[in-house]
Amino acid sequence: MRLVVVTTIIVAILALVAWPILAALLGSLHDWNPLNGTYRWVGLANYHRLFADPVFWTSTVNTVVFMAGAIIGRVVLGMALAYAIYSRLTRAKTLFRTLFYLPTVTPIVAVAYVWRLMYNPQFGAVNSIFGFDVNWLYDSRFALPAVMVMTIWKDFGFAVILYLAGLYSLSADVLEAAEVDGAGAWPRFRRVIWPMLRPTTLFVVVTSMIGYLQAFVQVFVLTAGGPGDSTSLISYLIYQQAFVKYDFGYASAAAFVLFIGTALLTMLSFRAQSAPWRGKEAHR
Amino acid sequence: MSRRVTSVCLHVGLLAVAAVTIFPFVWMLMSSFKYADEISAVDQHLLPRVWTLDNYRSIQEHFDVVRLFGNSLLLSVAITAIAVYSSLLGGYVFGKYRFRGRGPLFALVLSTMMIPWAVVLIPRYTMFTDAGLQDSYASIIIPAAISSFGIFMMRQSMNNVPDEILEAARIDGASELYIFHRIVAPLSVNAISALAIFQFLWVWEDYLWPYLMLTTPSKQVLAVGLTTFSGQYSTDYGGLFAATTVSIIPVVIVYVIFQKRFVAGAASAAVKG
Repeated sequence: MRLVVVTTIIVAILALVAWPILAALLGSLHDWNPLNGTYRWVGLANYHRLFADPVFWTSTVNTVVFMAGAIIGRVVLGMALAYAIYSRLTRAKTLFRTLFYLPTVTPIVAVAYVWRLMYNPQFGAVNSIFGFDVNWLYDSRFALPAVMVMTIWKDFGFAVILYLAGLYSLSADVLEAAEVDGAGAWPRFRRVIWPMLRPTTLFVVVTSMIGYLQAFVQVFVLTAGGPGDSTSLISYLIYQQAFVKYDFGYASAAAFVLFIGTALLTMLSFRAQSAPWRGKEAHR
Repeated sequence: MSRRVTSVCLHVGLLAVAAVTIFPFVWMLMSSFKYADEISAVDQHLLPRVWTLDNYRSIQEHFDVVRLFGNSLLLSVAITAIAVYSSLLGGYVFGKYRFRGRGPLFALVLSTMMIPWAVVLIPRYTMFTDAGLQDSYASIIIPAAISSFGIFMMRQSMNNVPDEILEAARIDGASELYIFHRIVAPLSVNAISALAIFQFLWVWEDYLWPYLMLTTPSKQVLAVGLTTFSGQYSTDYGGLFAATTVSIIPVVIVYVIFQKRFVAGAASAAVKG
């Protein structure tokens, strides 16, 4: 049994992960179009084109802004709401937790369409409730923030669950000691709880980072990258190049750059976590 | 600030966020029962003045949404069953057997979770197309049959399966398959249900891969159907409200019934990570 399982896993990784990665690397060095059967060696030409492409740079900046905004929103909301639910003064804890996690479990394509309707300038709820007169998704100033708001709304509940689990796992002694010390709510949070929840924060940040670098559906449904390229994200650019223009070589080059970027960012976050000065602060 | 004031502030804040959280769902549901003129009226009300099922009738007529729903359900159930079974098997082998290369192989399984879909998407697309698997459900099931996240989760849950019981069963002459099905699986019920929930939701919301692989409209899944519908009838807002409701509300109902399992699953996946 052990042999069968291990062999199956190895074969699956080779066929569905390792080979595709290699094929993508090779493909990025070719002029590759499946529609007319082109597969011609061009060396680094796709990468040269990519780095000279203003849309690539716009998409990179958009992706970083989107990622940073969504992560900050997720961490701040997740932490604040978890702390509020955790408070001894709060009732109906389960109800709030259940409601906040609801958007996370619902299917993203359908949810994105609901938000597209919410942002509709004619009858959308965002304008009619708050009295705005803004065409959110067709105004290059507001389109990316609008996509970010939808993403934070969809995902903050997961962070709430994680921070709640983190808070309940803290030792009661430490929390009590801090209380007896007479520390106020904010210093207690700042000096004791926030540092002790650092592992949870790291987990939220790293998983969000990996997820948001690949965010696609919200842009696909809400804005199709527009207006102009103002909401084009890297993953959306790759999709466009691959399955709208069928420029597989160029798309593979962009995908590989994304791959390297993801790996570097993930490594950096773990490095930041294990840095000695951080460790000391957590134990203080 | 007195405790009372703090308590009121906390609850007001939490209620405000809760309202923002559920409002889009309520708005969607209510709008799906409105006629087109009321949806786009200048004067907006949350509740329909005149209730109608026309939007649902029209998406069924033009779009056979029941069929798409059935396809999604079939694929989600099938893939969940296969992936959970293979994950439990993988988790058991990594958790309870000692063999050379176990550590590195497990690390390799974990590292595949970090790889962006965009990297493997194009080669997988050509692989499955070249193999003639386009437009078959095999193309959807095969890449999802083994889940590295699932193996990881099940491997962590093996701590709940005491080695002594396995040893005792082996001494009694139980076969490995018997041990796996009759001892390991029942002891892993919590982890299995948590993984099954995640897995089901992932398949249910998966969009890009079925969109690329399935070409016959009647075989398509609900998520892709939504985008096709929106593309073809871009101004039928009532229909879109009804179609998103059909996609979202069943998930909400299942979530409300099993919410404890959902939350426990999410928390366990993270804390153990």
